[in-house]
Amino acid sequence: MEFKTSEGRMEIEVVRDGSSFIHEGMVVHTGQELWLEIDGRKHKAVATKIGDVWWVHAMGHTLQFEVIESGASSSDDDGGLSAPMPGKILEVHVSEGQVVSAGDVLMVMEAMKMEHKIVAGSDGVIEAIYYSAGDQVSQGAELLSIGE
Amino acid sequence: MLKRTLVANRGEIACRILRACREAGIEGVAIHAANDAGTLFTELADFAVELTGEGLSETYLNQEQILQIAIDNGCDSIHPGFGFLSERADFAQAVMDAGLIWVGPSPEAITKMGDKMTARITMKQAGVPVIPGEEVSGGLEEVLEVAPSVGYPLLLKATAGGGGKGMRAVHRQEDLESEAKAAMREALNAFGDDRIYIERLLTGSRHIEIQVLADKYGRTIHLGERECSIQRRHQKVFEESPSVALDSELREAMGEAACAAAMAVDYEGAGTVEFLVTPTGEFFFLEMNTRIQVEHPVTEMVAGVDLVREQLRIAGGEAMSCGPLNMRGHAIEVRLYAEDPANNFLPAIGELKRFIAPTGPGVRLDTGVRQGDSVTPDYDPMLAKLIVWAPSRTEALQRMGRALDEFVVLGCTTNVRFLRELCNHPDVIDGWTTTDMIERLWPDGWSPDMDSVVSDAGLLIAAACESTNHGRITTSMGGDAAMPSLFSTINRRLP
Repeated sequence: MEFKTSEGRMEIEVVRDGSSFIHEGMVVHTGQELWLEIDGRKHKAVATKIGDVWWVHAMGHTLQFEVIESGASSSDDDGGLSAPMPGKILEVHVSEGQVVSAGDVLMVMEAMKMEHKIVAGSDGVIEAIYYSAGDQVSQGAELLSIGE
Repeated sequence: MLKRTLVANRGEIACRILRACREAGIEGVAIHAANDAGTLFTELADFAVELTGEGLSETYLNQEQILQIAIDNGCDSIHPGFGFLSERADFAQAVMDAGLIWVGPSPEAITKMGDKMTARITMKQAGVPVIPGEEVSGGLEEVLEVAPSVGYPLLLKATAGGGGKGMRAVHRQEDLESEAKAAMREALNAFGDDRIYIERLLTGSRHIEIQVLADKYGRTIHLGERECSIQRRHQKVFEESPSVALDSELREAMGEAACAAAMAVDYEGAGTVEFLVTPTGEFFFLEMNTRIQVEHPVTEMVAGVDLVREQLRIAGGEAMSCGPLNMRGHAIEVRLYAEDPANNFLPAIGELKRFIAPTGPGVRLDTGVRQGDSVTPDYDPMLAKLIVWAPSRTEALQRMGRALDEFVVLGCTTNVRFLRELCNHPDVIDGWTTTDMIERLWPDGWSPDMDSVVSDAGLLIAAACESTNHGRITTSMGGDAAMPSLFSTINRRLP
């Protein structure tokens, strides 16, 4: 049994034996309770699916794995910069057409009573600015876009 | 004795106070905004009253409405908790003017300690050492003028402030103007007052605070220290008692200074005097918090005192019940925040689909949430405080590590792994905790220290769960009938 992962191309070969899943000496026992067995040591695990994402707690770590329907492509990071949290735009430091370098502060926003800087992730030109100072923005709202 | 207390707060601290009321035989009344209906603290109250309005200023900060609810419902007292109205002298005064008991110090004490300039002056007069610095009453111009004489690095702080808001560290002259503007703006937004003051930033120093308790019968005592050096952007994340930096001599000297500070303002109830302690053992008054503190449980664990019960007792006109200070063992508290430490600690939101708290000997959880609750951007992102007690510091760190490993929160990103790694860090184990240590240890931001075995194991678990539809209600056909494609693609998200 094979599962593929995009983004880092994690690939995992899984052998299924009833309700147990085996990968290179690791065994996951499914059922009412989830158990992970590594080198003969058992670790309790907890997992739940939220939307398309499996949240997994194991060995003191919390991990997330997104299931992507076959055929769909992942389309994150395409130059857009979005609001990390709902909040208010305090300052806009750039104008359309301006050349910016990675690390430049583009906007300052207030979220949960703290100020956060929106920083350019790459060099480029400001193509569009969608909000101005004083605007309320929701989480994930695209604030501005950077092009080549 | 108090009979019916309104708790003018929400979440974790409202739960803490309502439980203490229940234990003391006092009726507890909760107030809540519409978006807090049905949350844990409303259920721990004898009854709960919904506040009208939206946003903090119309609800939890709405003095008239809260006071009216207290009067209409026959309450004889109001406990403000921390944050919100806890350090509002005008509210304390209004409560007293309405003939109710304010569970806290007098409005005069709150005013004197709440305004940092007045506090500095009062402390100087009482002989309590203060940090070298300058009070600035003018605007930006005066800040720019006065700063060079204080010297760099320096700290800009909101005169009316607390909680890290309006606070900025400035290391170079060229950053002063922009940082001062940001500090004044944050101060104005958070406290409605943009005055700031400047003090020398004492790097490499520890933040150590002394818990004090004073009753109406002239008794003012201290209950030892809390070491709160591990902070991020001046928000505490890890607190412990006792501090490895204090011997009994320094503890006694700081305890005496804290009692002197409290007595200088005729303090009544529970309060905390914060000090900075330099590597050479000098200590300076930072501020006094005229309320119960977030981190009060560590003192409760080592001193064997129930601070909230003492607050209720003192407010009701009784003498405090504490005997001589006898600190036992070691206690640590960590604050679980809904935030993403791997992404510059940005606040996170989401539904707590699974929330399984650790248990076992010496483990205490103070929280206002439970599984199924949603974390929204409306309120503070602190989800819980995890506190452990053990006979020694080493064992307390081991116990905290174990407890954090057990702590399952799925559906909302938290700092639980960050806290876990903090407990494992050699500097923390050695007790070399300083206020700048998070920036020092992780200058480029934190990311989880994860063995590839763990990520492989996680992926295997996700794959197994996906193919068995784990945790879902399955049809009578069983899990295999719902088996998805063998070639599902799984996208990895970290952490």
